[in-house]
Amino acid sequence: MESNTHTKSRIYKGILVANLISLVIVGFNKYLIDNLEGNNMGNSSGIFIYSSFIIVPILMGLVCAWYWHPLQLKTSRYIGWSAVASVLAILASFIFLREGFICLIIVSPLIFGFVVTGALVGRIIYRRRNNTLNMSLFGVIFILIAADNFSEHENVNMVSDTILVNAPIDKVWPLVVEYEPITIKENYWLFEIGMPSPVQSTVDGHEVGAGRKCIFSNGYVFEEKMIVYKPNEELTFDIISQPHDPEIMGHIDILRGQFILKDNGDGTTTLIGNSWYKLYVFPVWYFNIWSESITRNVHLRVMEHIKILSEKNV
Amino acid sequence: MFNLVVKYAAPLKHVPVLPHLFDALLKISSIFSNKYLLDYLDEIENEVLSWEHVALQMHKFGGTQFNFNGKELGHIHGNGLLDILFSRKTKSELMLKYCVNEHHVFKDSGWISFQVKTEVDKKIAIQLLRYSYLAALKNELAA
Repeated sequence: MESNTHTKSRIYKGILVANLISLVIVGFNKYLIDNLEGNNMGNSSGIFIYSSFIIVPILMGLVCAWYWHPLQLKTSRYIGWSAVASVLAILASFIFLREGFICLIIVSPLIFGFVVTGALVGRIIYRRRNNTLNMSLFGVIFILIAADNFSEHENVNMVSDTILVNAPIDKVWPLVVEYEPITIKENYWLFEIGMPSPVQSTVDGHEVGAGRKCIFSNGYVFEEKMIVYKPNEELTFDIISQPHDPEIMGHIDILRGQFILKDNGDGTTTLIGNSWYKLYVFPVWYFNIWSESITRNVHLRVMEHIKILSEKNV
Repeated sequence: MFNLVVKYAAPLKHVPVLPHLFDALLKISSIFSNKYLLDYLDEIENEVLSWEHVALQMHKFGGTQFNFNGKELGHIHGNGLLDILFSRKTKSELMLKYCVNEHHVFKDSGWISFQVKTEVDKKIAIQLLRYSYLAALKNELAA
């Protein structure tokens, strides 16, 4: 009975200490990044460097394993308790960092994967009973976190999508510039669970310098300014203001949007949608997968709508 | 999945931490595909560690490596794939005696691969590692 209590106490202590350490490091990271980079960036509150999602979860796993290794737990229990530690970390992010629900869904596989990795690596390392190695491992991790804090964090990416519209170019162009509310059902899972999706676009002029508004399902408005206005050819606009909320939009800035139209000469039009965005969350290789997918689905929702309306008018 | 990654994403094994992440993911997925596998791997680990002068380390390309006085006896990946280096002669003998295969990457070598799935496989894996251990012990005594 006493042994069972001791085991549980060490397991819980590992989870608690790992979470406290991660909370302090991520909080300190955010403070440093906001002060080092935030002054020159539009969205500093949303910055999360790669150490927050890779090194800190690995450190959490290592700290857990530090407490668990004398217990000789099975590997499956290491994985199970690492999952509990990850859930607690995600809850802490929700409460203390005020992260949004969708944002946490997106980061949870990353956090869980690296917490388990850290715990399983720790499980092997601590069995070697080499305290010098064990302590130097923590030293290396803190150096990596510090180095990451003082590194430059910049990532701009572009997503392009193409669609064929069975309507002549002069029927498509007016709908590219502005369109009535989209009524088709959401068919992207993140939109279905609450991520805002594009609904309507309005303009206050038809020339370079005119304003354009892209309205999203929850009322978010992206204010845009046309920088290229070539009827039946190209519409390019810079985003001059956008909402920053705790959900994913706090971690990405859409910089520019563009529609290019090509007359295929057979009564059909090729419509190309391009978007440029800046990411504030790292590692880029992971978050680009998500941001590309989200941007692509925003494009396709708008472009499908334009296609339906254009083809109806033929 | 394991073979696909080894075949098409081999250069990624040199990225720090990534092989260990991949091995952790193999272990997580084995909970769903073969719920006893992780226990077999733990039992193999405990048995081999009970032999004199044997220690564990992380394998550089993911997995648990068994060392005898710092020299590798073999390593086992998170999906239960055991890799051991023998002489080519021993490899031929073992391939006749047990259901062991050519190494999943280095086919033209003394490396063998053996897939642990069942309780019986676990015992064979321990036996194979024992051969490797005895060979290493013999070499050390000869030196």
